[in-house]
Amino acid sequence: MRRESFWRDAVALVALSVAAAAVSNLAAGPERKLRWVGSYASSGEPAPGSAKESAPANVPTAAVVTAPSGSDAGKAFPPHPDKPWLEISGDDVALLRDRGALILDARRSSVYREGHIAGARSLSVWEADADDKVRGLFAEGRDQSAPVVVYCSGGECEDSHMLAEKLYRVGFDDVLVYRDGFPDWQKRGLPIAKGDAP
Amino acid sequence: MNGPLSSPWLTIRVQFVLAAVFVVAAVGKIADPPGFAHEIHNYALAPGFAVNAMAIVLPWLELVCGLALFVGLARRSAARILGLLLVVFVIALGIDLARKRPVDCGCFGTSKVEKTTEERLRDMKWAIARDVGLLLLVGQVLGATKRDERG
Repeated sequence: MRRESFWRDAVALVALSVAAAAVSNLAAGPERKLRWVGSYASSGEPAPGSAKESAPANVPTAAVVTAPSGSDAGKAFPPHPDKPWLEISGDDVALLRDRGALILDARRSSVYREGHIAGARSLSVWEADADDKVRGLFAEGRDQSAPVVVYCSGGECEDSHMLAEKLYRVGFDDVLVYRDGFPDWQKRGLPIAKGDAP
Repeated sequence: MNGPLSSPWLTIRVQFVLAAVFVVAAVGKIADPPGFAHEIHNYALAPGFAVNAMAIVLPWLELVCGLALFVGLARRSAARILGLLLVVFVIALGIDLARKRPVDCGCFGTSKVEKTTEERLRDMKWAIARDVGLLLLVGQVLGATKRDERG
């Protein structure tokens, strides 16, 4: 039997694994592909460089301030350039949807297809094209101070907050996180769409 | 290691069990790298810039080492690498368990089942127990094949 050499064999196994991983990632479709270097913050921390240069240094950029809930038709959601996001309730999301606000679904594309808030666009924070899509939103020439609602699955899901950070970094000043997410929307019996289309 | 615990009959079966576990674990993660990156991120232990690279490479390392064990090539190196991965998994789960941070193990890919905090914490304990058991199997392979290594 061939005598084994640990280091030679270990290097060969690791090299083979990296090569196979690189080929697999290169050949993967947009839903499976990942950028090699992630741009995520550690959980619960603001993303590196997330603070805008214009934001005061002593303002916690990831502070969560809950907007007052309610279904007042005249309710305003003013920009908050010193904070990446505010959390809002399902009532507020329904109100903003009626007003035509941009709604973004931060969950995986496959989950989005199974059911999403009617009118919401898919922007999965975990897929390789997330940064391109965020920059695409910026390039659409949207009003940066208009409300943008982001949501995921509520509860412990942090995807919507991560997407909010990305949007804040490119200049969106009024990002609102749907605190209870899609499960709450379903419970309320509000409009849901399926498939790739918003 | 001497005696029945180092018999080739047992060792080959242990290799097959380890190979099967790691190949199955790898396939689920290779099928969905973003889902695995999400699971790694949830542990809140790895630096953000390294999460994707880990999600891309680790499943392939499991697959290649699992297959090496299956065919009996470079089996000591494969077993050591898998043992090292298991130690890392146990430490990661242990840290999050100690700080009561419920995570899905992510060991066999992305879980689609919604679980409560208590269920997740309980599953983390089981995952640690399973990984320790797999470590014992790795130890058996290393102990029984010691004579195969070039000095």
